[in-house]
Parts: sequence; structure tokens; C-alpha cells
Amino acid sequence: MVAIMAEPVEQTGYDDLVVLAKSQTAALGRLYDLYYDRIFRFCVHRLFNRSTAEDVTSSVFLTVARGMPRFQGRTEQDFRSWIYTIAANQANAHIRKTIRRQRLMENAVAQRRARERDSDEWYSLDWPTLYAAIQGLKPEQQTVLTLRFFENMDYDAIAKVVGARPATVRVTLHRVLRRLQKVLGGNPGGEE
Amino acid sequence: MFENERDFRKLVAGMETNDEPSAAHRERLRRQTLQTFEQARARDVSVKTSGRNGVHTPPHPVWKLAIAAAVLIGASTAVWMGLDFAGGQPTFERIRAASESTPWLLAVATRYSDGDVGTDTYWSNLAAKEVYVMAEDEGVVGYSYGAGQMKLAYSPRLKTLVVSELPRTGPFGVESAYNFVQAFAVLAAKDDVVVERSTGEREGRPVWVYAIDAAPSVMRIEGKEVAGVRMTALADPRTKRVVAAGVEYKSPGGALLAREDWVMNYPQAGPSSIYDVGVPRTTRVFDTRQGYRGTPGDVPTPISTPSPTSGFRLEPLKMELPRAMFRGTPVDGRTPNLEKPRRDPRPAFLAPAGTTNVARGRPVSSSDLEPLTGSLDQITDGDKEATEGNAVELGPRPQYITIDLLEPCEVYAVVIWHQHRWPRVYYDVAVQVCDDPSFKTGVRTVFNNDADDSLGLGAGRDLHYTETYEGKLIDGKSTQGRYVRCYSNGNTHDELNHYIEVEVYGRPMKSIQSN
Repeated sequence: MVAIMAEPVEQTGYDDLVVLAKSQTAALGRLYDLYYDRIFRFCVHRLFNRSTAEDVTSSVFLTVARGMPRFQGRTEQDFRSWIYTIAANQANAHIRKTIRRQRLMENAVAQRRARERDSDEWYSLDWPTLYAAIQGLKPEQQTVLTLRFFENMDYDAIAKVVGARPATVRVTLHRVLRRLQKVLGGNPGGEE
Repeated sequence: MFENERDFRKLVAGMETNDEPSAAHRERLRRQTLQTFEQARARDVSVKTSGRNGVHTPPHPVWKLAIAAAVLIGASTAVWMGLDFAGGQPTFERIRAASESTPWLLAVATRYSDGDVGTDTYWSNLAAKEVYVMAEDEGVVGYSYGAGQMKLAYSPRLKTLVVSELPRTGPFGVESAYNFVQAFAVLAAKDDVVVERSTGEREGRPVWVYAIDAAPSVMRIEGKEVAGVRMTALADPRTKRVVAAGVEYKSPGGALLAREDWVMNYPQAGPSSIYDVGVPRTTRVFDTRQGYRGTPGDVPTPISTPSPTSGFRLEPLKMELPRAMFRGTPVDGRTPNLEKPRRDPRPAFLAPAGTTNVARGRPVSSSDLEPLTGSLDQITDGDKEATEGNAVELGPRPQYITIDLLEPCEVYAVVIWHQHRWPRVYYDVAVQVCDDPSFKTGVRTVFNNDADDSLGLGAGRDLHYTETYEGKLIDGKSTQGRYVRCYSNGNTHDELNHYIEVEVYGRPMKSIQSN
């Protein structure tokens, strides 16, 4: 109890909204509006494919809707950790469950290359190539990477989402970046 | 490429990822989310209203009116039907007559004494006056009170069926009652026994309650004298049959020595002989009345019973098993009360013909709002292979999953594959069957190896077991219910809980009743 009370809680203007959303549909609608874009983008970054990301985003919000009446958290920080945890788990489960992942990746890369043929725009390291490298990481490592670099979360917030200590998150990120550096540096095209 | 975290952040920031959400999807999902929330909130309110931990919330005034109206309708219907009611409730003789108007009585009795829990299943052929008692140790005893007048006792350890005369005395003696309803009626008919009549509620439905206090002639439980027995029978006002019962055995000082909980059903068909309730047809038979009569492989003479009214028969359960992921079953010295691993394949499990996996494709819910990996529908998708990503992972500490069979079923077996990729032991495994989605009333526990009562369901006496490709087959004891709940509390490898597949073998009550 002492540890819980001593934990610093980030105060936001939406804490009351989270409490109200447990019992009021309108309040949950407002939370939905606040979080839909963030969760969708997180899913796109984790799954690369828009339609798959829409499916997983749907699954996340329906899970939230079912669990909201019994949600124990009281602050927006609690809600954010909860919804990102659900999103991370859903994305990981989707990746593990489907063997379509590799196919999705191949399709996406093919589409990108087709577009590049018609365009003058070209990055030395583009998103499909980076995603192909990220794909080689463990799902949990991918989650940490996405939360850090696409969702701009700090170590404490990521730790809450993935259920680890902030120090562990820091070490994981360090190792992930070294691994990516090695993979991308050794084979910039990403075709191993 | 990039040297550090700051470089990588710049790199990512400059990338085109096409992550603009679609307005159409946003709006569609918004509607679905709010609709789902309203449904969940309605369910949550309904669960809270029905009371938690057996404490019932006082009904809302509107509900009180509805209940009063229902009582009035019930009372007027009873008067209209012209039954021999005393205050709207018939005498127990009428209950007995209605209960024995069907050919079969199937009763499951759970005994509780001094921390011990045991379950026996009784098949009573009311027409032919025969009883088959199936004990937990797979022993079977048959009593024939009709023309046969004999007792058959099968010992699974000795693999022998012993035929003898009916005992003269005791609860299954020649002159004894041969089923609970009859025993209650016989005691209730004695001059010095008063039958208390009242009404009550069971699983949310009104029941008539009959209770008697009787003094048994000579009875001992674990060496202690039984001075008094209180028997309670609950009858369904609609069918007039006994649906549940309880027995309390008391010492001369009034202390409770043991108790039994009974649940009764009245199937139209039952086993045609003792060989239909688990006795192998090739077992040797020893007849104490005539001397040695058979040898292994001989065709024994079954207990004489009339032909069943329908084609009821037991047959081996057909089950597809996944690939074995490891050879043998290493003994884990760290786990107490561990079941000795079998060297051979699991023996066939007998279930009534027509038994299927009634859990296939059925919805699953969980105490863990969000599985760590996988989705709950994988638990009933029929895929039992222990491949990467095929297990649903629930969080640490005690967790449960609940399978909604969508209709009341008679459950003969529950087979669980937690994670058979490695020889793990899952702790505190318990399986319950219930008709109440909140598992507050009418809960039947068919398996429990939680010896120290970590789950709070009561200390279980079943053994821990090692996960194998065969899964753990748990006898469902013909328990009836719509929901099946499985508990676990981590495993020997980590604190998490896993499920690859759960199968529930049974038959829908509708199909049983129509037969």
C-alpha cells in the first residue's frame, strides 16, 4: 500500500473522464476520440499493413469496451498503460497467430518498390526496409521499439505497458538498436 | 546508418509510414465500441444485482411486485390443478410417486467428511429395482433388488467381478431402500418422524423443501457414532420430482460428522448391465454363491436388467490427439502429490453413444481481461498442436477461463491441454461445471488438485499431473451445466497460465430428453 501511494502519478486533465467512462457512454466516446488515432498509428507501425491495423485497432477498442466497467484504474495514465498493453498484446498475438506476416511484409515491400519505380523520391533507408529489419526482432522487442520511437513514450511509461522495470526497457532498447545497426549496416537492402 | 538513439529517432521521424486513419473506420468502430460498452455495462449491473458471495442484494420494488405476482400465479395454478396440497405443497408421498414415475434415477452424491471429499454416481433402474454405484476409484457395485437379488462388486485393482447375495442389513441390505428418494420416503413414513415442509430457492428457481430428522439404528463414520441424520430433499414444483438433496450426519453431541450433497436427474434410458458402467467385459467373474465361474476372456453373465427404453450404451470416447512434443514423462521431484506418469497410452474412456466435443467453437471468457499472447477463441478452435504461438497465455497468479456451451449439457469428460510442448506441471488445476454464468450457485467441482486451497474453492484431493500430448482427461461425472470453468495458478516453469485447447465431451440436455 505504501509503495502504491508513494508512486508518482501523472495528473492530466482527463483523469475525471477515465472515472466517468466506467459508467457513462458519452465519456467513453470522448476517450475513444482521444485515443483512436494513437492506437491506430501504433498498430500500423507494429503491423505495417493498414487493413490489418484496422482489424487489430477494432479488437483493441472492443476489448476496452468490454472491460471498461470493471477497469480498476483511476487516472489517464492508468488508462493509457492499459490500452497500450492491450494493443501490444493484440498486435503480438496477431503476428504470432498468422503466417500471413511474411506475406504481408513481402507485399508491402513489393508495393513500395513499385511506387518507387514511378517516383523520384528515395530514402537511403526507407520504412519497408526498416520494418523488414524490425521484423527479425522478438515481438516484445518490437513493442518496446514502437512505443519508444513512434509513440514517443518515456521508459517509465513503456515499462508500465510491457510489465517490466524501466531499467530493463532501457537495456532492451539498447540491445535492439545494436541489433538493427548490425542488420541494416551489414545489409542495407534488408534482403538477407 | 545511425550511431545512437537520437540518430535513430531522426531516421524514423523522416520516414513515410502512411499511418493516417480512415474516417469511415473510425466512425464505424466508434459505434461498435459504444454499443459493446453498453452491453457490457448492462451485464455487469445484472451480475452485481444478483449478489456476490451468496449475499443477495435486496430486490428493487419493481422486482418485488413481479415476484409477488409470480407467487400468486403459482398458487392459483396449484389450486386449479387440484393437487393434494397442504398450503400449496404436496406431501412427500406424491413427490416420491412423481420421482419414481420415470424408468431411471441418476444421482450424483458428493460426500464431505473430515476434509475428505468423494463423489459417487448412482444409476437406479426404478422399474427393475437395480442400482449401479460408480465410485471415484473406478470401482463399481451393482445391487439387484428385483428378481435377481444379488450384489456384484467390481474391483479395478483386482480386475475381478464378485457376485454375492444381497447383504441382510445396512444401507443396501435386502430390506433397505435402494435409492435416496425411497430411503427418504421410508424414513418419513415412520410415526415418530415429522416431515418439515417449506419452500426455498435453488439455482434461482423456487423449490419445495422437505426435511426430516431421523435416528439411524447403528451407524459409524470413521469410528465415530452417528446419533442423528438430517435429510433434506428439494423438489421441483413443475415436475414434482426430487432434484437435489442433502444429508447431515451428526454426533451424539450434535456436531456435524459428515454431509452429502445430492443432485438428481431422471433420464429416459440408462446402462443395460454392469458392463455399461465401466466394468470390462473380459474381467474374470467370481461367484461366491456358486464358486469360481469364469476365467479371463470368458463372457460373463451380466446382471439381469430389462432392455433399455432406447439405444443407450457406453462406448470409448473418440478423440484426436496432437503430435507428441517430447518422449516419456520425466518425474518432477519438486512437485508434491504428482501423479505417476503412465507408460502406456491412456485407457479408453467410456461415454454414452453420441457424445461429442460440445465446446468446439464455443465462446471463451477469462479472468485475465487481456491474454498476454493469443486470443481466447484459440482454446476451443480444435487445434491442439503445441506449435509456436498456438497457446493462449494468461497472466500470473490464479486465472480461469470459462467456456459457454450455449446450452445446458451433460458433461462426461473435460480434456485440457495447457502447454504440452514441455513436461510442465500446472498448479491448482480445478474444473467446475455450472448453469450460473457467475458461478455463484449450483457449482459442481469435477476436479481439484489445489491441495492448499490457494484458489479458495476448498482443498482438492486430486493429484498434480505432467502435461503430455494426451491432455488431462477429467471425468465430468455426468454433471449438467452450461458453463465449464478451468482454473490454474502458474506452472513449474513460470508463473503464467497457458491453454492450447480445452475439449468438453457431453451431450446437450435437449438431445438426451428427446431420446
